[in-house]
Amino acid sequence: MKKLFYILLLVFIMLLRAEAQNPGWIVPDDQKGKICLVKFTPDMVKQGEALYMKNCQSCHGIPTKKNFAAIQPSPGDLSEPKAGTQKDGELFYRITTGKVPMPEFRNILSEDERWSVISFLRTFHKGYVQPDPEKMAASMGKRIRLSMTYDTARKKIMVKAVELTKEGPVAAKGAEIIVFVQRYFGNMQLADPKPTSESGYAGFDWPQDFPGDKTGKVILGARVNDPTGSMQEAIVRDTLAIGLPTNKPALTDTRAMWSTREKAPVWMILTYTLAVIIVWYFIIYIILSVLDMRKIKQVKNT
Amino acid sequence: MDQIINDLSHHIRLNKGFFLWMGFLALAFLACLYAYVQQLRYGLGVAGIRDYISWGLYISNFVFFVASSLIGMLISAVLGLIGLKWVQPITRIAETIAVAFAAVAGLVIVMDMGRPERLAYVFLYARFQSPILWDVTVITTYFVISLLLLFLPMIPDMAVLYKRFGNLPGWLKPVYKVLSLNWTDHPEQNRIIHRSMYILLILIIPAALSIHTVTSWLFALTVRPGWDSTIFGPYFVSGAFVAGSAAVIIAMFFFRKNYKLQDYLTDLHFNNMGKVLVLVAFVYLYFNINEYLVPGYKLKRADAIHLRELMSGHFAITFWLVQVGGLLIPIALMLFRKMRRPLPLTLISVVVLIAAWFKRYLIVVPTLAHPFLPIQHVPDNFRVYTPTLTEIAITLLSFILVLIIITLISKFFPVIPVVETAKEKGLDPLKSNES
Ligand code: HEC
Repeated sequence: MKKLFYILLLVFIMLLRAEAQNPGWIVPDDQKGKICLVKFTPDMVKQGEALYMKNCQSCHGIPTKKNFAAIQPSPGDLSEPKAGTQKDGELFYRITTGKVPMPEFRNILSEDERWSVISFLRTFHKGYVQPDPEKMAASMGKRIRLSMTYDTARKKIMVKAVELTKEGPVAAKGAEIIVFVQRYFGNMQLADPKPTSESGYAGFDWPQDFPGDKTGKVILGARVNDPTGSMQEAIVRDTLAIGLPTNKPALTDTRAMWSTREKAPVWMILTYTLAVIIVWYFIIYIILSVLDMRKIKQVKNT
Repeated sequence: MDQIINDLSHHIRLNKGFFLWMGFLALAFLACLYAYVQQLRYGLGVAGIRDYISWGLYISNFVFFVASSLIGMLISAVLGLIGLKWVQPITRIAETIAVAFAAVAGLVIVMDMGRPERLAYVFLYARFQSPILWDVTVITTYFVISLLLLFLPMIPDMAVLYKRFGNLPGWLKPVYKVLSLNWTDHPEQNRIIHRSMYILLILIIPAALSIHTVTSWLFALTVRPGWDSTIFGPYFVSGAFVAGSAAVIIAMFFFRKNYKLQDYLTDLHFNNMGKVLVLVAFVYLYFNINEYLVPGYKLKRADAIHLRELMSGHFAITFWLVQVGGLLIPIALMLFRKMRRPLPLTLISVVVLIAAWFKRYLIVVPTLAHPFLPIQHVPDNFRVYTPTLTEIAITLLSFILVLIIITLISKFFPVIPVVETAKEKGLDPLKSNES
């Protein structure tokens, strides 16, 4: 009887613990099974590590060091079993969608990049075996490959979608395409999503006054918008020199209130230094002259 | 002359009362120090401050301390330079309070730092554009000027006491000897002291105005409701005079009773300090009306939330107690001469001083509780600020430090300028029994 009680208690506690994991951050069942379609390679892991250091380390710290940021809810160390025991699909979903305060990386990292981050994290998870992509591929949705070109004559960005079938690539019709431009952080969607035509193309008008970098380069991306999940996410990214060359000085290039100390406004440095010098000149002068009093020994004669 | 020396200096000795009081302070100090050690070990998490309300008791307390220290300037410089003779016996009390509060104000900032060992970075990476740098600069400067203003008039006193006060404790003698800098009432010496005092009294006016204006800018240079105000400087300065005058009155009452200074701190002084307090309280009231009426009339969205929280929301009880109990009623009472007698005036001052502390809390905390972007996905203790016991103990620590400094200065040095008092009466401080 007592034994039974303990077993029940143990089960109960385990249930509680399972419940306590990521309360309110539920991964839909159909996303849990998602896997990476290629075998993790050392190159991927390397790329993943770089991406991790750039995008995740500020909150999650360096894996195994437990030096994650002290924020609420706690990001935790992703090398720990809490993340390690989750399926690839769960990790992928969490990284893709984020949850305040964790940003969603949907438009920041491409699908491949997200997988490489996972491949990096997996190197810390003991006993992890990657599900075989070949075997799983059959059960996944359509595989789409995108490419992007700029049609100078029609001033359009042309995105081509190709479906990879067993028989070879064929033009994918009716895939909804979103085009976006990369900004400092995150992306800006260029126009409403458009389905591809019979020949697998979708064209987007390119605004001629769009600002690019110094040489007019713009980083563009396109992906398939597929909320139903019948296709695997496909994304393409390209740098095209089709923007207006813009040469704005960075906000911190000039002297300004918000800039670094070296770039403080001149009047401010002058006012501050002058005020300090004047006041302290008097203070030091007074201290010295008062100390000089000691030398005046001769007693007043009355 | 002997009479004056004795009257004003008889408290300079180590008696039982002093040891009891200092023992009590020391114990309380150690107890609160333990709280600070906890904070050093476990970090600022032991306090109730969190990401959103990150300025709690500590910063409210800092503002209060800076405010209280401002009184040195009002009494010595403004009233003194105008030529009001009656302030003369009070100047040292005011300067003592100024020095004590200014010295500890800096420490309060350190107490609010999660990594105090990185204090040097404030200077190493200082930006001229940052009000934090201005604040550190002006507070240091104000502290040094106040210390000089306290010390210079004390030089003749120490010389006279060293020569003529038989009961000066033996161990204090060398201190007095060194600090009195060979003062012999030589005209040249007096000229130096006089000129230095004159320069300092002029310097301290802009310095004092800056310390509290800059402190107010720490708030007013943001766009947040409740802080985004162009009159924050004068608002803070006038509020500072209220707190400081109240503190001086309390100190006067205490010294008069304990050091038996009834002949020197008379009803006249209390009456006059009462008038000063009413005056500055009226000015402060005027700024208060401005601070609340102007945004209250326009009711911009963020301001509306802020004002509602203050006047009828979470902070309403404190707010109305402070405004009515700590400002309006004291003003009304002090208009009557009877209420400006020592005891009632001191009681009123205690209330005013406590209200002044809570007023700083009401300036600092409610604004932080209402950022422009909604507070989401955080635990409850991020939303509502409740000071922890550790935090309260650390705040008390700063008060104990102030009391220790005031006690030491006022116990081992004359509270009322001896030589000035003697000269006022036409006596030569270095000669005995002329009259
Ligand atoms: C702004 C801070 C922040 C950044 C940047 C961030 N995360 Fe997170 N992350 C969090 C927080 C906070 C949580 C916990 C959320 C919760 O439990 O509600 C979390 C949770 C997770 C989880 C789920 C952990 C678990 O134990 O279930 C994963 C996986 C994850 N993050 C991966 C990443 C990756 C990969 C990156 C970089 C591409 C990243 N995060 C960047 C803050 C961040």
